[in-house]
Formats: sequence, C-alpha cells, structure tokens
Amino acid sequence: MNDFSKHIQRVKRREFLKQGTLGIGSLALSHLLSRELAAATSKPELKYHHTPKAKRVIFLHMVGGPSQMDTFDPKPELDKWAGKSLPPDITHGQKFAFITPDAGVIKSPYSFAPRGESGIVMSELFPHLATVADELTMIRSMKTNEVNHGSGEMFLHTGHGRFGRPTFGAWTSYGLGTENADLPSYVVLKDKPPNSGTAGWGCGFLPSKHQGVLFRTGAKPLFYLDNPEGVSAEQRGDVIDTIGQLNNHAYNHYQDPEIQTRIAQYELAYRMQTSVPELAQFKDEPEHVLDMYGLDHNGEGGDFAKNCLLARRLVERGVRFVQIFNKNWDHHANIYGSLPKQVESVDKTCAGLITDLKQRGLLDDTLIIWGGEFGRTPMIQEHNAGTGELTPPGRDHHKECFSIWMAGGGVKKGFTYGSTDEFGFGITENEVHVHDFHATCLHLLGIDHERLIHRHQGRDYRLTDVHGHVVHDIIA
Amino acid sequence: MTQPISIRWIKKLLVFLVLLVASLLQAQPDEVSFSRDIRPILSGKCFKCHGPDRETREADFRLDRRESAIRADVIVPGEPDASWILDVVTSDDPDLRMPPKGEPLSTEEIAHLKAWIENGAEYEAHWSYQDPDAGKRPKVKNRRWTDSHLDYYVLNRMEEQNLEPAPKADPAVLLRRLYFDLIGLPPTLEEVAAFEKNPSERNFKRHVDRLLKSPRFGEKWASGWLDLARYADSNGYQHDDLRTMWPYRDWVVDALNADMPFDQFTIEQLAGDLLPEPTTSQLIATGFNRNVPVNFSGGTKVPEVRANVLHDRVATTGAVWLGLTLECAQCHDHKFDDISQKEYYELYAFFNKAIPEFEQQGEGMFRKHFTGRNVLVYPNDEDRQKGQELEHEIASVEEQIAALVKEGEQDSSLVVSEEVVLLDFEGLEPFEKHVATRPAITSVVEYVPEGGGAFAGKIVAEPVTETKSFFGTGFSFPARDLSDNSEISFWIYTDIASKFNLQVHSGRRQASVFGFSTMDLEPDTWIKVVAPLAEFTKPQWSTGAVDWDRINKVQITAHGSGPYAGKYIIMDQVVGVTSSQKALLEKRVADLRVQLAELQTATMVMQDSMEPSQAHIMMRGDYTAPGDPVETGVLASLHPLDPDLPRNRLGLAQWLVDEENPITPRVVVNRIWGEIFGRGIVNTPEDFGMQGELPSHPQLLDWLAIQFVKNDWSVKDLIKTIVLSSTYQQSSAVSAEKLSQDPQNIWLSRGPRFRLSAELIRDNLLSISGLLSVKMGGPGVYPPQPDGLWNQISTADVTRYPTSEGEDRYRRGLYTFLRRGNLNPMFLNFDGSERSVCSVNRDRSNTPVQALNLLNDPSYVEAAHALADWIDTLPGNDQSKAIAAFRTAVSRKPSEAEVETLLALYHKHESWFSVAQVILNLDETLTKS
Repeated sequence: MNDFSKHIQRVKRREFLKQGTLGIGSLALSHLLSRELAAATSKPELKYHHTPKAKRVIFLHMVGGPSQMDTFDPKPELDKWAGKSLPPDITHGQKFAFITPDAGVIKSPYSFAPRGESGIVMSELFPHLATVADELTMIRSMKTNEVNHGSGEMFLHTGHGRFGRPTFGAWTSYGLGTENADLPSYVVLKDKPPNSGTAGWGCGFLPSKHQGVLFRTGAKPLFYLDNPEGVSAEQRGDVIDTIGQLNNHAYNHYQDPEIQTRIAQYELAYRMQTSVPELAQFKDEPEHVLDMYGLDHNGEGGDFAKNCLLARRLVERGVRFVQIFNKNWDHHANIYGSLPKQVESVDKTCAGLITDLKQRGLLDDTLIIWGGEFGRTPMIQEHNAGTGELTPPGRDHHKECFSIWMAGGGVKKGFTYGSTDEFGFGITENEVHVHDFHATCLHLLGIDHERLIHRHQGRDYRLTDVHGHVVHDIIA
Repeated sequence: MTQPISIRWIKKLLVFLVLLVASLLQAQPDEVSFSRDIRPILSGKCFKCHGPDRETREADFRLDRRESAIRADVIVPGEPDASWILDVVTSDDPDLRMPPKGEPLSTEEIAHLKAWIENGAEYEAHWSYQDPDAGKRPKVKNRRWTDSHLDYYVLNRMEEQNLEPAPKADPAVLLRRLYFDLIGLPPTLEEVAAFEKNPSERNFKRHVDRLLKSPRFGEKWASGWLDLARYADSNGYQHDDLRTMWPYRDWVVDALNADMPFDQFTIEQLAGDLLPEPTTSQLIATGFNRNVPVNFSGGTKVPEVRANVLHDRVATTGAVWLGLTLECAQCHDHKFDDISQKEYYELYAFFNKAIPEFEQQGEGMFRKHFTGRNVLVYPNDEDRQKGQELEHEIASVEEQIAALVKEGEQDSSLVVSEEVVLLDFEGLEPFEKHVATRPAITSVVEYVPEGGGAFAGKIVAEPVTETKSFFGTGFSFPARDLSDNSEISFWIYTDIASKFNLQVHSGRRQASVFGFSTMDLEPDTWIKVVAPLAEFTKPQWSTGAVDWDRINKVQITAHGSGPYAGKYIIMDQVVGVTSSQKALLEKRVADLRVQLAELQTATMVMQDSMEPSQAHIMMRGDYTAPGDPVETGVLASLHPLDPDLPRNRLGLAQWLVDEENPITPRVVVNRIWGEIFGRGIVNTPEDFGMQGELPSHPQLLDWLAIQFVKNDWSVKDLIKTIVLSSTYQQSSAVSAEKLSQDPQNIWLSRGPRFRLSAELIRDNLLSISGLLSVKMGGPGVYPPQPDGLWNQISTADVTRYPTSEGEDRYRRGLYTFLRRGNLNPMFLNFDGSERSVCSVNRDRSNTPVQALNLLNDPSYVEAAHALADWIDTLPGNDQSKAIAAFRTAVSRKPSEAEVETLLALYHKHESWFSVAQVILNLDETLTKS
C-alpha cells in the first residue's frame, strides 16, 4: 500500500460526517483528500489571463424574450405610428417567426422615467428594480442571430443556434473550475424548463464534468440523495467504508488513479446526502433577508424568488456559475395582461438579490445578468399562430435589438449603453452582439475569449467562435 | 500535394517505394519529417491565413501548396536564408512577426523548419490521404511474447520506448474482459471457474468464437454505432415529439450479429433505398439518415429545417466514414484541410435529392410534421404472427378473386358491379317516385354537397296530430334492383338531431334496419352515409330472412316520435350499388389490409425525388442566400468518383467503400481499437485531418486497415484478431514507474482498464443480480426513473413517462427509450450520449452523482436486494457465500483480507443487502480491468 492510500483510510468516514453537519461552506477536508478531489472534480484547466473583476456569475434568463419597448427602451415615437406599418426599407429581408412584415405598430401603454441618481430609464413596471438602478449597466443594443426560442436560447448560451456546443457556463467551469470541490461548479435552477431543454446547460464537446448540474427547486435538489428505505446513516457509512477498503485493495493491485478518485467520490457522495439538502433549506435565513427576495417567513413564495436565494447561497459557497431560467416572457398575445404580472413576479426578487449580495460584499465580484434570448417586435401580433384565432394584442419575436441589464462583477454602475432607432426595431449605436456579450462576460471573469479554446474534431473552438469583441465601455 | 491522387496500382507502388525510402530515412532520429515535424507547425500556425480558405487568405499565397509558397519566395528550397518564412517567424518586430497572434514558434520548431528547407522543402500528402502501408513486420527483441502479427508492431514501439510488456492477465480477469468486449456482460461464476481450470490459448479461442456468435454481441457493439448514427426516440428541440426509429436500432444489432461486411453495412445505411428492389430491411437501414433531430417549433421555416437536417447528414458522413470535419467548409473553404466550400456543397447535393420530409400544418406558421417515406414494421412477435395470419388470409382471398375473374368469363354477374340511381334530383319529377311517411312538403333545392348534380331533395314535415309511432318523418323510395350484395349511399343534411333508421322494405313490416345518427356527427352539416345491406341488423319484429326478391322500397326515417313539425331533411345522390361477389371479396381484402396496417408501426426511411434538384452554395452557410449552383461531387483530394457509379447516395456510398479510399478503413479499425483499448491508435478518432493527432502506431493502424478490407470488411474477424493478441491479453495492473512513464498507455505496455459505459453498467448490475432480461429488440422500454422528468420538456405533447411493467423493466440499457429532451438520469450521469449530433467519443467521468445513482436509485437498490436474496439461498457457510457473491461481480477470487472485510460488514448488520450494495459499487465491478 502506498503512502497516499494509508492517509485516505485514516481519514475516517465519521469525521466526514461531523464536517458535513457543519455545513458545506465550513468543510475543511484533509489536505490530501482535497488535493485529490481537486484533481478529480474541479481542476482549473487554465489560469486567469488577466486579473478578474468577477469571480462568479448569476445569469437570470427570462425565457421567451421580454419586450424591450415596454421595459427598458422607451419609444414614444410608436404612439404616432400605432396601427401603421413600418417603412418597408426597415423590415425588408427580416425574418419574423409569426407575423408579416407589414403588421401594424403597437405602442407601449407604460410610462417611463429616469430612476436613481444615475437616471437609468425604466418603465413603471419595475418599482423595486428602480431602487437599485444605480447598480446597473443597462444595454439597449443587444443583437442575436436567431428568431425562435430553442435556437435563440442555444445561441444566447452557446453562441450557436443548434445542438452540440458548450454553454457559457460550461466554458466558465472549464476555464476556472470551482472554488468548492464539494459542489458542482455550474448549477442550473429553473421554474419551468426552457425550450432548448438540457442543451441550455450542456457541455457540448467539453468534458462532461462541465455540464450544468440541474438542482430542482425544493428540499431535494438532486436525485438519489435519500438512502433506500430501511438503510440507516450508520449502515450507509459502513457500506461506503467497505467500498473504500475494497477499492483500496484493488488500487494496490492495479495502481489505477481512477480508483482513488472513485473512493473520494463515494465519500463526497456520502457528505452530499447531508450537505445538499441543508443548502437548499432556508431555515438559517433571517426574515428580513427572506422578505428582500419576496419570500414569507417560512421561506415560501415564488420559485424564482427561491431560486435566486438559493443562487446566493450557492455562490457564497463557491459555485462558479448559477444559471436561472424564468419562463413565460413569450408574449405573442395579451402582452398587456401578462407582462405586468410577469414583471411583478421577478421585480422585487431581482432588487433583493442585488441588495443582498451587496450587503454581503459579494456584489463586486459577482456578475448578475438579466435578459431574454431576443426582444419583441414593435409590430402587433393579433392572431394565434396555430389556430389563426384573433387574440388580444401581443408582440412577435425580434432578433435585431433587445435590452438586458447587468450588475456587479466589474460593470459600470448606473450606466446605459447603446441605442436603437425610433421604433425599437434596429440598433443605431454601439451594437452588442451576443458574441460581444460573451467576450465581455469572459473578460470580466479574467478570461481572454480568444484564448479559452478547446480542440474538437481538429478545430479550436471558442465560446465566441470566430467573432466577439470585448465591450470595454461598460466595464468600470 | 503536387498531383491529384488518382492512383492506379502502379502509382501506388511508386508511392509505396517513396514511403519506404521515407520510412527508412525516418529511422534516423535527426531527420526532419514533414508529416511529423513540419505540417503541425504550418497547419497550427499558418494555414488559418495562408491555407485552403480563399476568403481569409492573406498576402495571396498559401503554405499548404508547395508551388504557391515557392512562387511567393516564402520558401526557397535549399536556401533557408532566402526563405522569407524564416525571417518572419524569427522577427522581433511585433508588426512583422508571424504568427501575428498567439505563441511564437519555439527554437526547436524554427530549427526543424530550417533543416527542412535546407533538405529541399519537400511536401508529403497528409498521412491519412496516403494509401495504407503496413511495411515489413518490425523487428523485436522479445520474440517469445508476440502471438499475433499485430504484436510485432506494438512490441517494436514498446522496445523503442524502453518499456516491457505486462504479464498476461489472470485467467478470471482476462475472461471477464473478453466477455465485456464481445458481449458487454460478465461471465457466470461457472464459466470463470471452468476457464481457470483450463486457461489455454485454445480454450480462450473457443470462448472467443462462441461469444462472437452470441446474439448479445450485436447488442454490445450497437451502442457505439448508435452514437455515431445519433439514434434517438424523439425529435429534440421544442415539443420533442416522439418518433419510431427502433426498427433501425434493431437493424444495427442484427447486422452486427450477422457480421454484415462493413462496406455493405455502409451502403445499406446510406443508400439501401436506391438498391435494386430493396428489401424492407434495406429500407429500414436508411433510417440512419432519418435519425437527425428536427426543430419543429412554431417559428421555424420548412426550408430552414431541411437545410439543417441536410447539413447534419453531410457532417455525419464526414465524421463517420472519412474522419474529416466537413462542416468546417459550410460557410467558407476549410481552414486546414483541402476541402473547399464548393466541394462541401457538392456533397450536400447528394442529400439534396431527398424528397420533402417535413411539412407545415396549414397556413398558420405552426407545428411541422414528417411527410417523408415510411415503411411498416411489427413491434413484437405476437403482432408479427397475427400479421402473418392476416397476410395468409389476404393471399387466400386474393386467390378467390383470381378464380372468380376466371369464372367471370362465363358469368359476368360474379365480377361486374352495377350502379343503380334510386333518386335522381336532376330529373323532371324527382318526387313522383317518392313517398313521405307522414304529411310533408317536398321540394327541390340548390344544395349539393360535393360534385354531382345541381340539386338536392328537401322534405319538411307538416304538423300532425299524432306522432307516437316508430316511423317519424322520412323518405321512402322504390328500389327493385337491390340484393344482399348491395350497398346504399347518400348524402344527408338535416336539422333533426336524431338517430335515423334505414330500412329495406317489402311493403310489409318484414324489414331490416340500419341505424345511423346525426348526433354522432355534427348536426347541420352534410353527412355521407354508406350502408352495406348485408350488414343491416334485423329488427325484432322481422321474421325469417329478408326476401330480397320482394324488396320494393328503401325507407329512411327519424327515430322516435317527434314532433318534427317544420323540421327538414335534405338528401342528395341517393345511389344503390349492386355489388358483385368479386367486389365483396375486394372489400374484404381492403378490410384485412386496414387490420394489418393497425398491427404495424411506421418508421422513417430515405427516398430520393424523381424530380431533378438543384443544389447551391449557401453564402456564409445561410440557406436564404444561395450562391452558384453545384452538382454532386466528391472531394478532389481523395480518389475520384468512378464515372460508372450513379450520381446519387448509392454512388456516394460506393465511393466511400471503394478500395481506393485510404481513409475509411483506417477510421473504422481505429474506432474499434479505441472501443477495446479505451484509446484509438489515432487519439482523435473524429479527426484524421491535418489538425488531428498523428497515429501512435501508423503501421499497426495500416496493417489492421489492410487486413480488414482483405477479410471482406469483417468486423468480427477484426475483433477476433485483436483479442487473440498478446497485446490485448496483458494484465492492466501497472507499476508506479510505468504509470509515470506512460500514464495514458499510449505504448500499450499493459492491458486496457477503464470504466464501463452507461449501458454496460446497467447491464452488468442487472446481470450480476440475476434480474437482466435477455429479450431482444422491439420498441424502446421505460425502466423506472424519477417522476415528472417528461413534464420538464418544454411544450411537449407527451409528458407522461409510461413506466414499463414486468420484464421490460430489466432490459439491456440499449433498449431504454431515449428522449432527447430529457435523458434518463442514469444514462446522463454516466456520460451517455444525448444523441443530438453524431458523437464519436464518450467521456468516462468519475463523479459523486454516479455514486448516489448506484447506491440510491430504486432500480439498483432492487438489484442489490435481488443479489442479497440470491446470496441467502447459496449453500455453504458465510465465507463461501461472500466469495461467490464477490466473484459473480468481478470474476477473480477475493483475497482473504477482502473476504474478511465483506464478512465484517455482514456480521455487523446481519444483512446481505449491505454486502450486495458494496459488491455492486466496487470500482472493479464498474470497470473493465
């Protein structure tokens, strides 16, 4: 038996158990084991290319595509054009999902005003976000290539509209690893599934450990955390110990390092059975924090609020990338019935997340991103795309421009970037293509998007493929 | 390359001689090799801007062509000092230095370049484009070790690296390895014990031959191919509708079991539909190219979906057969390999001939559905048997028809059917012949449901005092020419929402009743009623058989007692058809065919359009931006397309397996080698192009490729050759020194050792615990998985996971239903492919979630219980039970210490369940050692 495996055996399972109950953040693993684990689970593939401003990301994806004209990009001109078609030279050659290019314009019913000292303009739908306006960088000039949900979501996350490429989160995990070997580096939370399904957090051709790990909302975020019926914690501990001992015999014979990794992974699995459910419970959160997110004193409330609080608990413990999906922003019909409700279900929580991170000193190096996979048309959609029935007015998908905001992680505070034409149809200044967005986010994380590469099928791939420019203007 | 490789064998011989000389030269360690030393520099640092791609080419010269580089004075053969390339790669000026981005060339690389130019700067074709050449059998020192020809190649490289082969694996371990490699299941305890008694090479070979014949062989080897074929049971993307492609999966299993030669295997999958009079099986094989995921969500456009599917087919063909990344040339010329954008679309043109395979529903831009060609197959043996019975019956009825036709030459009434118009509203007095059963107003109205004349007959009921009788308002009309072979049909439109009766009448109450109802159908719409008189139900009051000779009217009445005042019936095209015996038999055949179709399920296959199609280059790969038209064609840098071959997928498939093709056999043998050893001879099995890695054992790869083609592309022979070698049979145990010298086992100085795939872990644990079902084929099955996963698929119609009952819960992993939108979690946790694109390599991760999966997933908890129950029933003492349980999983005998460890656990908890869980979770259980 070599020296290393002797150490492994001395680190008794019961010690792990004790450490486990202290909570995952305080878990101090034995030096040797953590070194081995780091090699097994989270070895950074690459060092920072430059000093990072952000160490972690919380990406709030509003699935479906929020309407820019009703949220963050006021277009008073639309009042005059209401009911009329846009000039044909504007819509010429454009792809729309469901409407025709000559559909009439529909104005926004909401009032807009500057918020905070910085005067970022928002519609009346965001009273809570308005209170943290001075923390935000608002980008009004986002642009994408895709006009449908599945492909648009994939484009936003992988820079490619079809299956097969790694997501931004996977690249981040690949580049930077995690700061906590006991948790995945890339966690995914959702209220409802996005249209791209698991491809929205897939690792493409990167090693599968960089795939996002889906945590379910609720007490049991992972499958298979519970012991089988009738199996006590002690019995399970003995099973893990016995597996480890026998695997050590195998290691002595084969000397295959994978065996040591497996021993460590079984030990870690045992600890996760306690630590992961604990992480997902909000018992230790004070009421005022719960309230910030819009949760009641029992920690109950909307799934988005729970997911955002869980995201904070995850990044606090060293998770590198938390992806949150919030669905129902696809307002083809009845936008003015549905949009206010949808905004209301996220507004307070977003403000709460920013405030909470700030109070904990985490906002400066945590990048929060809020936005959809595309925007919506200035033109009206009045018919159900499937049945042709007349519906209350809505807006169709729009890829030429949309608005997102970011906070923390080294972006400017109280800053608005980019502008669109009077219709909110196209960009007039400072376009930020999704590839530029990716380049910029990676830059904030200390990564040069042109140097974070992976060789696959004989080609060097990057998140930004052959595109992308860092938008230095939004960096503080 | 200075000339195209349109090689006939004389040229081959020349190339061979050149290579021989080159390889002799290579033996001198200081000699610079273009392939080994120079091309990686040029390809990695230069081709991107000075390579095949015209669009991005800088300064108008290309370094992948010798003459271009010389013309530009970038390279002056024999004169390094005059060669501009050496100036720029060594320059200190950042504006001048090449490459402009990234790391500069190392001193060693510069020295190599210099030496190469000095020696004349000769280029060589990329190794994988050259014909395979196994060379002479290499010399080795340790001649006792080499069992097989291939061992010489391996040992020669090993000795060069100062490595020694590992001793032969322990018989039990070796037999288990063989079982996993050939059938993907562990040997039984008895088989291991018997082999331990006689571990001779002859006995080993007997096992090899037996396992190669096992039907489990195809099940094991299919998984890797299904990853390449991106086989799944749903469409992917939004909705993620289900599809029936399992017949294709079964085809793969069957073809592997039959050891179908790989060239035929290729042709049937790529072009089975284009073979002369293809069999159903050959059609099903073309499911290979219908496996592509499709995005049927609302806003996608049909041409867009089609273009994406066709691009996938080109890319997959490239990856599977050529080991080339063709898709790189979709938007521009390939940056590294000699593949132009035009050539890409010439390949695309082969696939562009396919008939339309999708359609949009209606005008609203909504869901799409498949319209391509299907074939019908039986989902299980029971239905197949029923179907065969039906087919027999159809054949027999058809014989009767043929006989009737013959008889009909004498008696035409047997074969001729006659149409009798009972009511003709075009006539002058249509209602003369009609009788209303109650006072009614009759008229002719302009109201015609479809085709036919311009009028229909309308009857409106008048108020009556008494409507209690069965006969309500209705029509009756004379009919003298009907028989029990007849059928009456008519159109009806009424506001009476009632059941109706149709009767044939002899004037007395001796009649039959055929019921139909407007309630079942929509009221106030035209309904067509077709009533075969033979199927009329006799009413209770009817006595005896209907006397067809005395039938003189047909009557239609609303059921019940009304009142019907003011209600109307409109009838049109009242036609009676007197059917012949032949017509009835034909109807029977039609009915049987419907039943037959219901037993079968449709699976998608390929078909080309009869219409000519025109492919275009797509500018920037965009389907909405067609450029120049292109015709079908193949890569100019490879062997030419034989002009006798058809210019369709069949020709393409035959071109791929042409014996002139240097790449395909290498790609195939490398993949099989990789599946057995865990690492290919070329470590980038998906890329044999310029950017791929060079083979670790080029001559071994070539020898295997040559043997493979010589042995009629037999995959089983290839596998047999590999497993009978000394190389394969080495122990996988390794010393720390050897591990540090060759951590990846590139030089093959030990046996393979790596974690089993997701499917094989499932199969193995179910097999150890005695739960595994060996049922083969058929529709995908649904072993238990956590609830609600299918609810998590966006906008899916099918959200209920229909968990299987009985045997289907324990089938091999290969048969688990594969839903792209949300994979089975066990499959996902163990790096199973999502099958969304052609995937050549799977990871072998090692994670805590895998541990949780195998310890707590109810399926594997059940397996542990089953194993524990089995241990309980074993004879002997606890020690012998523990040994048997251990060996069932890992084959080898446990050491005393290992047995004690297991027994300590057993005695502490007095439960074999804990022991069973340990055994199912051992590293050795989950690993091929």
